[in-house]
Amino acid sequence: MTLKLTINGQERELAVPPQTPLLNVLRNDLALNGPKYGCGLGECGACSVLINGMAARTCVLPVSAAVGHEVTTLDGLSQGGELDPVQQAFIDAQAAQCGYCLNGMIITVRALLNHNTQPSAQQIRTALEHNLCRCGTHVEILQAAERAVILNAAVLQEAPHE
Amino acid sequence: MSEGSMLHGQQKQAGIPALLAKARFGVVVRPPYYRWNGERFESERLVGVDSSSIASLSGSIEVVVEGDFVGVVADSLALATDAAKQLKVEWQAVHQAPESDSDQAPCESPLVKPSPSYTHSNHGYGWPSRMRWGHHPSWVIADCRDQQLSVWGQTVTPAALKQDLSRLTALDISQIELYSADGEHSSNQASGLGRHCGDDAAVDAALMSQAVGGLVAVWLDARYAKDAQALGQAQRITLNADIASSGEIARYHYQQANLTGEVAAVGLLLSGRATITTSSAEATAGEQDTTPFSPYVFRAQYLAARSQPASLSTNSTLMGIQQTFARESFLDEVARESDQDPVALRLRHLDDARGIELIESVAKRAEWQRASNPSANSLPQDLLRGRGFAYSQLPDRNQRVESGVRSAWIADVEVNRVTGDVQLTRLVVGQDVGADVDTDRLQQTLQARVLGEARPLLGQAPSFDEWGDGSRTLTEREDSAGLPTTAPSSSPVEEGANKTVGEDVLTGAELSPGVAVIANALFDATGLRFRQPPFTANRVRQALEASSIEKAGRPSKLKPPRSMNRRWLAAAAFTTIAGTAAVAWPWKGAIAPVSRPAANLYSAETIERGRLVAAAGDCAACHTTEGGVTNAGGRGFETPFGTLYSTNITPDEATGIGQWSYAAFERAMRHGISRDGSHLYPAFPYTAFAKTSDADLQALYAYLMAQPPVETEKNVNALTFPFSVRSLMAGWNTLYHDPKPFEPDPMQSELYNRGAYLAEGLGHCSACHSPRNAMGAEKNGESYLAGAFVDGWEAPPLNTLSRAPIPWSETSLYDYLRHGESELHGVASGPMAPVVAGLAELPEYDVRAIAHYVAAQMQAPTGNSDAAVADATQRVTSAAVGSTEMEAGERLFEGACAACHADSGVPTFSRASTNLALNTNLHSDHPDNVIQSILGGVHAEHVPGIGSMPGFADSFNNTQVADLTTYLRARFAPDKAPWQQVKQRSAELRQPHHNNSHSSP
Repeated sequence: MTLKLTINGQERELAVPPQTPLLNVLRNDLALNGPKYGCGLGECGACSVLINGMAARTCVLPVSAAVGHEVTTLDGLSQGGELDPVQQAFIDAQAAQCGYCLNGMIITVRALLNHNTQPSAQQIRTALEHNLCRCGTHVEILQAAERAVILNAAVLQEAPHE
Repeated sequence: MSEGSMLHGQQKQAGIPALLAKARFGVVVRPPYYRWNGERFESERLVGVDSSSIASLSGSIEVVVEGDFVGVVADSLALATDAAKQLKVEWQAVHQAPESDSDQAPCESPLVKPSPSYTHSNHGYGWPSRMRWGHHPSWVIADCRDQQLSVWGQTVTPAALKQDLSRLTALDISQIELYSADGEHSSNQASGLGRHCGDDAAVDAALMSQAVGGLVAVWLDARYAKDAQALGQAQRITLNADIASSGEIARYHYQQANLTGEVAAVGLLLSGRATITTSSAEATAGEQDTTPFSPYVFRAQYLAARSQPASLSTNSTLMGIQQTFARESFLDEVARESDQDPVALRLRHLDDARGIELIESVAKRAEWQRASNPSANSLPQDLLRGRGFAYSQLPDRNQRVESGVRSAWIADVEVNRVTGDVQLTRLVVGQDVGADVDTDRLQQTLQARVLGEARPLLGQAPSFDEWGDGSRTLTEREDSAGLPTTAPSSSPVEEGANKTVGEDVLTGAELSPGVAVIANALFDATGLRFRQPPFTANRVRQALEASSIEKAGRPSKLKPPRSMNRRWLAAAAFTTIAGTAAVAWPWKGAIAPVSRPAANLYSAETIERGRLVAAAGDCAACHTTEGGVTNAGGRGFETPFGTLYSTNITPDEATGIGQWSYAAFERAMRHGISRDGSHLYPAFPYTAFAKTSDADLQALYAYLMAQPPVETEKNVNALTFPFSVRSLMAGWNTLYHDPKPFEPDPMQSELYNRGAYLAEGLGHCSACHSPRNAMGAEKNGESYLAGAFVDGWEAPPLNTLSRAPIPWSETSLYDYLRHGESELHGVASGPMAPVVAGLAELPEYDVRAIAHYVAAQMQAPTGNSDAAVADATQRVTSAAVGSTEMEAGERLFEGACAACHADSGVPTFSRASTNLALNTNLHSDHPDNVIQSILGGVHAEHVPGIGSMPGFADSFNNTQVADLTTYLRARFAPDKAPWQQVKQRSAELRQPHHNNSHSSP
């Protein structure tokens, strides 16, 4: 049985068992290594991708659940050579120690901004509450998220078409 | 095409989906008794409606009363349904005329005394008022405002419907527009064989729309079959004749009860606006009789048709079909009774060169040879074959019969005597004037309309074991016979003649002999005369069974189809078992093995029906190992009595059921006895399957036998003594098993009975959801569906003991069963997940029926009330913040669960969609399902759209599981007492045979 997926704007047809975790398919079959394998139980967020612009934990999501939806991984976040403002903000703030959690952090902030372009500092904290970082880079990550709000607003200003 | 219809053709209206947003919803309340008695309509009289009885329902509800018509209009269908149920209506009984057999074919008329020198023949024929309830379940919407009425829906008799609507609303026909569901203008041409209940629904909607002054939508489904039943027969035609010893018909008498058999819509009749003339003296006077046309010439003949009461509308096409059906069936009967060739008899009484030439040409083309009943011996034993003839002559466009169309038909049918399926295998039609006849399409149409699609044509005898909602592909059948169909034209074909277009439109000229030709072929095949259409598999099978019982004991062309079954019942020998046991049980013998039935023995429809039966019974769930071949068996089941393995039910002759005759199969399904005579254990739910109807069991057999055989190794059950002694099951059966088939409850709706049939029988809900006694038998009475434990899961109560925080409603049950999820209750998981996956095969109507039946057991309302939704919101809000008293549980929840089960303000695709505060499992008296979900996760494979939760068996120890479970209970079910001994239960549920965790690939 083959499944039809739309990943980073491309149609992909894959012969994989429908119950395979989406993460395994992304990393092993499609070599999209932005999402990381962390806990495998949906607890840490390292495996996050965007599905229809919403955050999704792919280590617990069967690949069949993604059929018919738009999947965007960290690898597909930049548009026309331009980094996504959230990516740029994390670079600007140098918000990485080991960097393993950053995929999840960036994806989660992206999902938050898709839904709320002007989140408060408290809303950013709540949003990232269930994304684990084991290096202790939390302060920088929060600074990066706050900068992402500003950069994102600037991009929206340039192209005010939502 | 007239100017007017051109205009309408371009003016496309919005379709039903768009209209529903603006519409309100109507549900009718019919009187307990109403019927059409053949001449007039009678019903109980409305005394009064107590509107205060629905005051407790919130929402805007209007009650519409008009004459004896009562309807309820509300903002949602669920609310309207609830209101219609609750509304107190007082009816005054009328004197009920003695029940005539209006559903049956009319009985023989005693009108004429037989004269000694002639043989006498006398038969009556009938036509139903409604051929069926409709094509498929759908909305019917009416908008009656500003002197204009528009109706969206399905009708095959638009002229009659417009006439009804005009009488109802006092609007002129030109002010009434009919549209199909997608907003296209309905054709004005009648198609088919008479009205269906789409017209009744349309009149109901129009009446309510006029009363409330806005769009009203009515849901048309099999519940309208009640109207079809109440309206009974629209037409009765009685024929009798004296036949001379030479075989000539010396006297021919034709009496038609109504000029045309078309009964007005129920809503119109109830409203009192139909202006019914009762059958008083003035209306029945002989001078109003008209003389119907007959193409034949007899020495003495009398033909009369009584003019119809005003409640019947005029449809000359339908009248032609009815007349031809009666006349051609009768002539066929006369020919059989006087031992003549049916074609020769017609030719003898035909004084029309063109007609004679046509009949002879068609008979030659079709190789009409009475004597050679086509090689009966070479037929598979369950197939009967027959051939029939019919002829008609119809008036031309100027109503002149002499220059009209002559049409001669010969049809071949195959009847499966087990299932009653009739296949029209060949059709030869000759028409001497007019366009070419498209015999392929005619054949398909007749097959569908007269012999039965999956559901709609069973309309005449609505039944709880009908499958499919008519919208599926059941009717798209390949003609397996592959026989040629030809259409000879003995006269030159009129060039450019108006061909009938539109897929659903067939003119009367084409259909008129079609019904008779099938009835005659059916008689040739079965020896049974069907004197009223439709000839559905159900009716044919019942008639075959009745005749085989009647004829038992004397030699007959018909072998009793179920002789094996009776033989073993009668041949109960007695023996003693188990050493000193003094009790004797009837010993069941083996049923002789047969070779596997040919795959093409059963029709595609029967096999398709069997597939649905198998889906409803979820055979594959037990008879397939994980990752194994479907239905090849071998799955192990832990029971308190030991381990049992399911068997191979593929048609493999050595290891499967390939050698099982139908009789053996039926015995296993109803009595739990294997083909070799040994007893099966009731882990195989034959206690429930026994309720399955014969037709469904036959279809299931056909389906299973048509699957590819798979050879397997047999597993040996590991049961503890004395349970390992199979024959002891005989005693168990005597105590606990009732092999009676399902009996519908006449006091309940068709939907309820359908649901009960599926839930109690094939669905075997109670196998899991009813507690069992120490002997492993299901408890009944108050304990029916009271909840039980299976394989380490709790099957929650499906009766009034349900512990769901928000009470279940019929809507929620439907969502859960159809989509695997109800937003007020949670998702299907554990052993219920494959059940929902199996139900996905079933048509919507069936799933609704199950939901309806279960809702009735729970005494649940139809929809979710505003109060219930508000309660849900309140529960979710108050559980939004966790308690800080249980630190260990809180920490586990925040770490492992909250990412998916709490709202962090980020839109999340993979979040659990039902809030835990509404989760039924967390509100149960037992923690089992919560622990199971934590340990093994939630997997609803094959149910699209349901997320999956990972299992935590490997990351949490029993203390952690207990801490988390206790915390969840306290936070999300604060009104329930804490569970006890959770840790111990967690340890028990980790045992291998209870553990639901399975490795993901």
